[in-house]
Amino acid sequence: MPVEKGKLLSVEPERIREHQRLVLDGSDISGHWNRMFEQRVIWEYTPEQLSKITALEGGESLGWCYQCGKCVGVCPVDVVGDYGPRKIFRKVQAGMDLFSADDLWLCTTCMNCLRVCPKEVNMVEIMPAVREQAVLAGSMPAELQDAFEKTARYGNPLGEPARKRAEWTAEAGVEVPIVAKLGRPVDVLWWVECYPAYHWRGKEAARALARTLAALGVDFGIVGVEEKCVADSQRLAGEKGLFESLAEENIKTLGKYQFRQLMVTDPHAYNAFRNEYPKYGANYQVVHYTQLLAPLVSRLEWKEALHYRVTFHDPCYLGRHNGEYQAPREIINAIPGLELVEMFRCRQNGYCCGGGGGGMWLDGFNARHLGERLSERRVREAVEVGADVLAVCCPFEVSRFEDAVKSTGNEGKLLVRDIIELVDQARLGAAR
Amino acid sequence: MSSGRVLIIGGGPAGIEAARGLADLGVPVTIVESRDRLGGMPIAAHYATLTPSLEDAEQAMARMLAPLLGNPAVELRLGAAVSGFAGAAGDFELSVARNGSQESVRAGAIIVATGFQHFDPGRETQMYGYYEFDDVITLPESEKMLKEHSFVRPSDGRLPERVAFIQCVGSRDRQIGNEFCSKVCCGVASKQAIEIRQQLPEAKVFIFYIDMRMYGYWENRIYWPAQEQYKVNYIRGIVAEVLKKGDRLVIRGEDTTLGRPMEIAVDVVVLSVGMEPSQGTREMARLLGLRQNKYGYIETEGVPLATVLTSVEGVFAAGACTGPADLEDSVSMGGAAALKAAALVRKKALAAGATG
Repeated sequence: MPVEKGKLLSVEPERIREHQRLVLDGSDISGHWNRMFEQRVIWEYTPEQLSKITALEGGESLGWCYQCGKCVGVCPVDVVGDYGPRKIFRKVQAGMDLFSADDLWLCTTCMNCLRVCPKEVNMVEIMPAVREQAVLAGSMPAELQDAFEKTARYGNPLGEPARKRAEWTAEAGVEVPIVAKLGRPVDVLWWVECYPAYHWRGKEAARALARTLAALGVDFGIVGVEEKCVADSQRLAGEKGLFESLAEENIKTLGKYQFRQLMVTDPHAYNAFRNEYPKYGANYQVVHYTQLLAPLVSRLEWKEALHYRVTFHDPCYLGRHNGEYQAPREIINAIPGLELVEMFRCRQNGYCCGGGGGGMWLDGFNARHLGERLSERRVREAVEVGADVLAVCCPFEVSRFEDAVKSTGNEGKLLVRDIIELVDQARLGAAR
Repeated sequence: MSSGRVLIIGGGPAGIEAARGLADLGVPVTIVESRDRLGGMPIAAHYATLTPSLEDAEQAMARMLAPLLGNPAVELRLGAAVSGFAGAAGDFELSVARNGSQESVRAGAIIVATGFQHFDPGRETQMYGYYEFDDVITLPESEKMLKEHSFVRPSDGRLPERVAFIQCVGSRDRQIGNEFCSKVCCGVASKQAIEIRQQLPEAKVFIFYIDMRMYGYWENRIYWPAQEQYKVNYIRGIVAEVLKKGDRLVIRGEDTTLGRPMEIAVDVVVLSVGMEPSQGTREMARLLGLRQNKYGYIETEGVPLATVLTSVEGVFAAGACTGPADLEDSVSMGGAAALKAAALVRKKALAAGATG
């Protein structure tokens, strides 16, 4: 309705367009245009819509919701929008076709709802199951499809050439051995993953980690150009087929080498190696880099005290999904000068950066549905506790939070650093 | 003089359990039952199955009754009513009217187990149209159809595609005067919903509720299976009116978790009617001089740590004559009343022996 200088003008009848049937956000708003401004009556409940979901493997538990609402209280998406598993259940019951609804893509699979759900309604399984059907039907946001296609074509969602996967090592300042070239077993095989291998901020963290491993005398190697995206987030976003074919390739690659531990930089890869790959017969002794370093960090020599007030953002896939809250904090506490302050949402109820479950590739889509990005909300929380540094240990997060620092006008107030970058800075000091 | 006999008024689950317990202790018992059959409401109201076990009601009650039949310690007075009362604890004298004749029974203690009646939906303040529309029925009417394995639209005998239960009919309502929760209707409606889905797998079943009150194991034994296995649709928000549109009923209300008005067509509406004190409960309370609460139920003294004492010494009460009670409550109270009654007649007998 046109509004001019605070005055509501009448609408000429010829400018009103009436659709015979119009469904928006899963709600039927058919009828005379004036009706849109009234409360919408539910004319029908459609158990069929719910049955379509509960018939899917992984979709069963959506039918268990008894509307307590605990999930909505902890849902990071609802904090910045209107969402939540309880609401999804009701909308489906009242006729929403989740397979074609925008609500399908808002869940980041952060698992905070499942943590509190008394009925164990498991959105971490429901969403991928329904998304898989949508993806098979070719119905998904374009930017997500783009990430899928790049992953399939190049082995990474950034669309970078596979042959450049180990190029970051050139500027590491230490030797980063490629396991194939070593021709011998290594103690630690480091699975670098895509963002640390290609994204400019990820590469900085990867180099810092390489220098730290070298300083500790860890016998390590990387896979290099043979490494392909683990694609756990693509799986959770509905591309199970892609995940499976990449898993097959990666398992074959890993089978060529001998190593004691598989170290990952990415909590999403950690989750896949730990919880998904065993389903395909591959079992590794997998550790996140913070878990590998925490017991070794006392052996490091420090050159510089970092006088920062630092707060730590628990990655959903390291914390809630896999129960590791302590290792990153042990490293932060070992770095001289740092003062660790916790945000009011941390550890088990840590907030989500918005990057999981495909969110990494849905920023444009999400912007149309949410009041602000989850990463922006999190940056505000870090600023609220007076932090100078927001420390992270998931490769999605550095870029997400740095963007959010800018978009929330906190540039110069808050630095975003991977924990390993802080280790590197304190260890090398001015020499770095 | 004292009497070692216990008179039980009411032959439903509570009264039967009291009689079983007393007979086991060797205490002679007289059961006065106004209906011509023992078994109480599960039999009289044609229950298909019991809640929460889903066991066949006839079989379950028959098993419960078996030890009483032909038991020399048990006298049955069916189709009978207590019409006169005198004496005191240890030595009551009661008149029992039956087939137009009067009989005098002496008893040392009395157990009242006269139960409840289902709320009459005609008294409901909402417009549920119970007396206008054939396809608006109550829980016991639904139960009877389920027992006969013919759950149909009463108006035309056709199988319903959609059935809606409306909870809290006649309960939790200040205007009606029943402020209490009837305790069993959430479970019974859910149990019936399961049975409808078992008998009519194509039917869609909805339960409209204010809040589901599935205490204890009813939660996991009835509510969760109803939703998770039998796909019963629970919708929070009470239907406010039932209208007739064409040959179908339309129910209107608010879907409170979506915050939107709701208006849907259904084939059968089941009103989850609650409990009220039965006529027998009111009459016996009056005759025996038992204190009643504002709802007409017999007031039990000393709750929560005493459950079967009344305001009159030597008179005990068990089951739904004291307030809404499920079968487990009723049977437990029957046993507790038997214990109290047996102890009382024994004490009075000992006292009489000592003085006499």
